Amino acid sequence: MLDTAAASELKYVGKVTRRVDTIEKVTGQAMYVSDMILPGMLYARVKTSPHARARIRSVDVSAAVAMQGVRAVVTGKEVPFKLGLYVEDKDILARDEVRHFGEGVAAVAADTLEIAQKAVDAIVVDYEELEPVLHPRDAVKKDAALIHPDLGSYGFMESAFTPIPGTNIANLSKVRKGDVEKAFEEAEWIIEREYTNPSVQHVPMETHVAIVQWGQNDNVHIWSSAQSPYTLRNLFALSFGLPHRNVRVEVPYVGGGFGGKAGIGIEPLVAVLSKAAKGRPVKFMATREEEFSLLPCRSQLTYQIKTGVAKDGKILGQKMTMWWDAGAYADYAVNVTRASSFSAAGPYEIPNAWVDSYTVYTNKPFGTAYRGFGHVEFHWGLERHMDLIAEAIGMDALEFRLKNALKPGSATLTGETITEHTGNISACLKKAAEMVGYGTVTEEEKAKAAASGKKIGKSVVGLHKAPAMPSFTATTVILKMNEDGTVTANLTLTDYGQGTYTALAQMIAERLRMPMERVKIAFESDTDRDPYDWQTVASKGLLLSGNAAILAADDLLEKAYGDAAQILRAIPQDLDHDGDGIFLRHRADQRVSFRQLAIGYAYPNGNAIGGPLVGVGRYIAQGLTNLDKETGAGHPAIDWTYGAHGMIVAVDPKTGEYDVLKVASVFDAGRVVNPDAFRGQAIGGMIQGLGTATVEGYIYDDKGHLLNPSFTDNKIPTAKDIPFEIETFGVETPQVDGPYGARGIAEHSMISVAAALGNAIQDATGAELTHMPLRFEDVWRALNRKEAVDNWITKSPYGSCKSAPEIQKHACD
Amino acid sequence: MLHDFSYHRPETLEEALNFLAQHGPDTAVFSGGTDLFVVIRAGLVKPVHVLDLKGIAELRELKWSASEGLSIGACVTINELLEYPHVKKEFPILHTAGEELATFQLRNRATVIGNIVTASPCGDMSGPLYILGGDVVLQSASGERTLPMGKFITGVKQTIIQPDEIVTRIIVPPTWARAPGGYEKLKRIKGHDLGVVSVSMIKHKKAIRCAIGSAAPKPVLLPDFPADAAVEDIKSKAQEMISPIDDVRATAEYRTFMVGEFITRLMERI
Amino acid sequence: MKTVKFTINGDVYERSVSEHKTLLHFLREDIGLTGTKEGCGAGECGACTVIVNGKSVNSCLVLAAEIDGASIETVEGEVVDGKLTIVQEKFDEHHAAQCGFCTPGMLMTTKDLLRRNPHPNREEVIDGIEGNFCRCTGYQQIIEAILDAADNGAADEIAGRDAAKGGKHA
Repeated sequence: MLDTAAASELKYVGKVTRRVDTIEKVTGQAMYVSDMILPGMLYARVKTSPHARARIRSVDVSAAVAMQGVRAVVTGKEVPFKLGLYVEDKDILARDEVRHFGEGVAAVAADTLEIAQKAVDAIVVDYEELEPVLHPRDAVKKDAALIHPDLGSYGFMESAFTPIPGTNIANLSKVRKGDVEKAFEEAEWIIEREYTNPSVQHVPMETHVAIVQWGQNDNVHIWSSAQSPYTLRNLFALSFGLPHRNVRVEVPYVGGGFGGKAGIGIEPLVAVLSKAAKGRPVKFMATREEEFSLLPCRSQLTYQIKTGVAKDGKILGQKMTMWWDAGAYADYAVNVTRASSFSAAGPYEIPNAWVDSYTVYTNKPFGTAYRGFGHVEFHWGLERHMDLIAEAIGMDALEFRLKNALKPGSATLTGETITEHTGNISACLKKAAEMVGYGTVTEEEKAKAAASGKKIGKSVVGLHKAPAMPSFTATTVILKMNEDGTVTANLTLTDYGQGTYTALAQMIAERLRMPMERVKIAFESDTDRDPYDWQTVASKGLLLSGNAAILAADDLLEKAYGDAAQILRAIPQDLDHDGDGIFLRHRADQRVSFRQLAIGYAYPNGNAIGGPLVGVGRYIAQGLTNLDKETGAGHPAIDWTYGAHGMIVAVDPKTGEYDVLKVASVFDAGRVVNPDAFRGQAIGGMIQGLGTATVEGYIYDDKGHLLNPSFTDNKIPTAKDIPFEIETFGVETPQVDGPYGARGIAEHSMISVAAALGNAIQDATGAELTHMPLRFEDVWRALNRKEAVDNWITKSPYGSCKSAPEIQKHACD
Repeated sequence: MLHDFSYHRPETLEEALNFLAQHGPDTAVFSGGTDLFVVIRAGLVKPVHVLDLKGIAELRELKWSASEGLSIGACVTINELLEYPHVKKEFPILHTAGEELATFQLRNRATVIGNIVTASPCGDMSGPLYILGGDVVLQSASGERTLPMGKFITGVKQTIIQPDEIVTRIIVPPTWARAPGGYEKLKRIKGHDLGVVSVSMIKHKKAIRCAIGSAAPKPVLLPDFPADAAVEDIKSKAQEMISPIDDVRATAEYRTFMVGEFITRLMERI
Repeated sequence: MKTVKFTINGDVYERSVSEHKTLLHFLREDIGLTGTKEGCGAGECGACTVIVNGKSVNSCLVLAAEIDGASIETVEGEVVDGKLTIVQEKFDEHHAAQCGFCTPGMLMTTKDLLRRNPHPNREEVIDGIEGNFCRCTGYQQIIEAILDAADNGAADEIAGRDAAKGGKHA
């Protein structure tokens, strides 16, 4: 999709515009699934497990069934359908065994939410508590109890994944490039460290919610707060053995997703309730506490990196081992594992590499897709590692990165060659460094920090990510002309805040040469009406759907030109168009308007030609290959987006308290299609990254109870927690096959933020942190060389903070 | 979602107290509801009745007089406290502690009395009211009693309130008016958070008074120190008297350290 | 059940309410005003912020039974005669809404802020909206929208409409 149009030639792409979907949001008119009430609708509640691992001896639902107003009660035994995007390992409701705290065991649909809750409370489950396997290190021991003893009998996607039956390993992805042991022999320095991050939750402001109606003849209608209507339809149909045409998925406005709503979630459970309730629509909305425990989170990661560096500072070889604690079910985690394996070294050239990336089962809420798809997690370790290497070899951290950065001609871990169009990581690093004055601390900066007893630290970190997606990922956009010459686009890429619809409107407007006001992107998605899109994940939307939108516009124009050629008695090649219609290039007064063509053209005598103008654009990922299962070799990436953050912090060397003074984020977006939307993604993701860096993280006790399933103790950033100064910048190395040269940045802004913080804190005070989050206490401990607190799986039985309601609840067990 | 309870809104104190005389043990008294409805929603308490005090005019009173001091009625919200000029003037640490409490929206409902009645070890108002010598006034159908803050809270979320009693107000005497003071609260984020540990302190020519929150089941009130006391003496006394725990928010070790740090900061600043 | 009489955005209502129902659920389910959202149900996130008798509150922790005689303002009352307010306009201009779920609560908090402080500085805006979580925007563009709105007469617009209704709240 080459378009070398200079910014000055473009009217809409690259310009400041409003979003196409804000008005509904600021007026309260936008309807989310959580707002919907349907006639005859029932309300669902779920009985969840208080144990991390237990055998279910019996489930007594008799009291619930007998309750007035209860219309359906379902337990695991009645729903023997296995779910699994990549590995079919999950029951809709736990059948013989519960595998994590908060797992669903039974569900009720009733006339009101209250009755449903009372019924759930009246269900009695007899558990035989078992010793849970909590730490991935314990899960991979030879004699560890198996979370999935039947792993060998599960269906799985063989082209991409390798589960190891008889173990707790759901997948092992490998990269073998060159000879890493030889590289270590030749290296001047070897630096080997381990880095960890806990699980975190997406925390969309709208929790997971779905309404499902299982109608006659197995026609299922689903309304869900979901990112990917077609994937939801597909997985649903496959799981229940239904033809695709039977399943209709509608997605209206979505209150945030961040990957947590990427695939299939609670819909199957709600569906079986509807079926059991004689086809009445059933609605389930997760409470915030359920969002943290019943619904999935992001896998924990332990990342071991060993790097061999030559005398001149060039990396010769790197061995990388990732242990992904995916919790009780594989879900997306196996693909996170795989996607991270081929990206594991960051935007740097590693001539000899060895990667083992394991997905490990444990008895905890499971990890699903999360913004960054593994990259936020492993870049923490990786970018900390780059600084620690630089320190060990006596080189400046930025210089070390620039020396090893991927450049045109470099080879990636999978053997892909970087070209001058791939993107420019060095430019991003240099720009970020410049924006924070990296390498110097001004007197003014010093004085300001000293006023509160703090010391300044600065850092620059790099990042990269390519969409992790099937090699055949595709999408379609349909563009219909309306009677008045405006257009409406239909697609099932969803926009839950990214601003992609606005960018697509800009591109369509550009192509059709009409003002954006004349372009409508139909907001809600409906799989009965709108064409296929794979998923709204992976930062691929702008690229694939942008191309599809351009192709749809071109297709519409081709048809319109064909009709116009007849009417103007010319060849199409002699025609051109503006926003109002098509004209003869050499006699512009000879024209026919889009209005006249929109639904078919009528000659003055009544004869008609043409017909309704509908453009169809379909785009499929070009040239991607499967990866060799042994070596990881192949071409998995349609594009790489590079970026960098510069950060300035002020740290109190006595107490560990710190302020983030400034963050400057730079991304090579190819072309910044919408400057304000770019900024919105850049800042939003950076703050989300800062949250996971400073304070977010699941905390369990040693029995696997989640101790912080609410905002009381699972904090996220507020307006007070943003850096004092925030800057963003777009480098523009055009993506030759991207729409107007653009590539996506949706996930990238969250990546490496934590490492920037860890590096800056070390720069300021020497405190060396290799685990996350970096709370004040963690900094203090590192400063004083005290043992790090295991604030992930804690030793105390119930975490002992008696104020939080959820802790009090468990104290009664 | 809240369980099925019935709602009552008496218009006089007498009405309220008579109701409690009959239904006390089954009734939750509230004004702001910002603690009560959270625990009801979590299923931890299931009162049959909730009694809304906001209809009782005298409980909404907030007044300062040089003779009595500051009288804070049961229904006075944190924001009302912050807006009352005498608070910042006479008892600045009350103002600072109030500003640190939750969010603006919550402060439009949460009350000073509610905060001490909840008696969470993390409560922001307890420590300052302790060291300012607040006296808690309780009434029931059978009479009235007053006792100092020090005797009011007995443990984690426990007070001496009887089922038929209402705390009608707290009186902060003028004894410590205008005493410079400060409130330091350790949080995990800059935004709203429960206190991981907190220190309130006032310095007066008569004495230095200090209370520590989130470091024991109840706020810890240090003995009075002379105005020229050394920082180290106060710190070591504090470390001796507090008994912080390890929990999901922080370790006892860090809490202890930060108590010392806060005492140092306050002593330098005040 | 309790009978309550109240106004929402100037419209008079008289309803029978369930005594243990929160104002949030009452507005959304009984009245059908779904603009106000539920984010946590526990007073932490601010998505449920509405204005009751001139004060912004988390409606998830207010009982519907409490609103007898009250005047309530929700996001649905902001547009008057088909026109967006200056604050809404600036939210649009500055891309201050992404997924939009926090937006109604954020707007009501902003209204309360500008009534109390017509020309807040950046720090005061931050203090003002601290009780409203946003997971998408990172707050920066929301802050810019509010500052720009304040610079362009947003507080006067609110005061003017308050006066036209004969006081701060109808």
